[in-house]
Amino acid sequence: MLERVLWPRGRRTVTARPVAARLDTLQGKTVGQLWDDLFRGDEIFPMLESALAARFPGVKFVGYRTFGSTHGAEEQQVLRDLPARMRELGVDAVISGMAC
Amino acid sequence: MLRASAAAEEAGVPSVSLTCEGFIGQAATTATGLGLPSLPVAVVPGHVDVQTVEELRANVLAVTVEGVVQGLTAPPEKASDIEEPEPGEVVFEGTYDEINRFYYENGWSDGLPIVPPTAARVQEFLKHAGREADEELGVLLPDKRSATIRTVAINGVMAGCRPEYMPVLVALIEAMADPRYGVEHSGNTPGAETLIIVNGPVIRRLGFNYQQGALRDGFQANTAIGRFWRLYLRNVAGFLPHKTDKGTFGNTWRVVLAENEDALRQMGWTTIAQDAGAAPGESAVTISRFTGGSVLASVFGNAPEQMIPYLADGLTRLVAWEVIFTVGMSVGAQRPLLVLSPILAQTLARGGLSKQDVQRRLFEQARIPASKFERYIGEWTNLAPGRPSLKDLVRRGRAAPIFAQSDDPERLVPVVEKAEDIMIAVSGDPLRTNAYVFAHNGILGFPVTKPIRLPAR
Repeated sequence: MLERVLWPRGRRTVTARPVAARLDTLQGKTVGQLWDDLFRGDEIFPMLESALAARFPGVKFVGYRTFGSTHGAEEQQVLRDLPARMRELGVDAVISGMAC
Repeated sequence: MLRASAAAEEAGVPSVSLTCEGFIGQAATTATGLGLPSLPVAVVPGHVDVQTVEELRANVLAVTVEGVVQGLTAPPEKASDIEEPEPGEVVFEGTYDEINRFYYENGWSDGLPIVPPTAARVQEFLKHAGREADEELGVLLPDKRSATIRTVAINGVMAGCRPEYMPVLVALIEAMADPRYGVEHSGNTPGAETLIIVNGPVIRRLGFNYQQGALRDGFQANTAIGRFWRLYLRNVAGFLPHKTDKGTFGNTWRVVLAENEDALRQMGWTTIAQDAGAAPGESAVTISRFTGGSVLASVFGNAPEQMIPYLADGLTRLVAWEVIFTVGMSVGAQRPLLVLSPILAQTLARGGLSKQDVQRRLFEQARIPASKFERYIGEWTNLAPGRPSLKDLVRRGRAAPIFAQSDDPERLVPVVEKAEDIMIAVSGDPLRTNAYVFAHNGILGFPVTKPIRLPAR
């Protein structure tokens, strides 16, 4: 016996969008750090800072503590506040960690 | 973490996400679900937790730095959508075997045979919902797909449910969509699995097993509804192993636990649903994610003072690294579950204890040395970075004051923040003296209770 069967998935509520425009250089730019308080971000961000500062003179960093944890109980509030905080702090780009 | 990157991108700020090597696939599927398939990542080779500081630095400098630069400055790939059918659209015609093969090959089944979701079978389920087929119950991460009554019916058919289970299935998806539950965390690496607890008249009406073998497959309502839960996570939320579901081991779905409400009534104890605010006599589902569990066999004693120490010991053995949900990551969000067989609960009640009295005694006795607690979160794991002491966490507002009542590293501290955080259910073989303890996954699957609304006849 043949049967006709239905698609079991739900409709996607988002369509693919482009990401934000990229920077031409990190030189002189302000980079925000977002951290979920996991997987050695506290060690990795300083390593990245040193390497990027050596390569891009004038690059500045806004530390992850300024924004709060992006995981756990604070996540939703931190992400709601993020656009305004980035504007206030003049953030040009962000590095977000850690997916491990 | 990608959700934070997406929030920055939506605000017009370019981002790059630091991603361990084993998580590149999850990052790609999560980014697609967020509607930003071009979201760039910077890879960290291997896994950071097993690297020396020198190895970590070498990996970051050799690989990650360039990934960060490229992610923030290189033109991204063009984003495009994948064309998909409409929900409920006919996608295949074939025999039973062909349908099963088709669904499996498309990632829509769990590997066991499904009941083919034909329009007629789905319509039978919709009749029992008493709600419009296209009514939206929520939008589920990571795929951001719309959860509707229709998709509940389709996945219910596939799981082997009966049409009359629909009100239970709908209540479950309302719970899944509740932000307090945190469905977006369902693919996290410890692989915790949801336990569904059912209460109220619906237990008898639908024939749930709540006696011997309460967590064993073999009873259609308990088993098929448990399977439905994971099929819905797969097909609508979008959690698939090797993609968005990163459970290191994982396990299959849990059979639904129904409480023995006859025993509870006899003792005057509240149900799990009543503890969460449901009215007496109201049918309800409670969902919560548990990292694992173990049986406490042959509890011996005829009075609470003989029985409580063993039950409390079970709690301290099961709630180990999970204390990161008691302090630190989320304060007071550890909700372990103790399931007592009726004879154990009745013996405690005969000793004069209400459920709340049992919770208080367990809270007082389920304690571990502060030094061991601190090892769980900051030495044996790195879940609380920087190895903070409990006193540090109390000072920072990341732990309740009870965790810093002295400087003695061997002082005993609780594994939960307060007595009522210990959930207690009554089920299983009425005349056997065993209990079961589940450790909880905190805010990454927080308990949520929803009423089961039966349609008007």
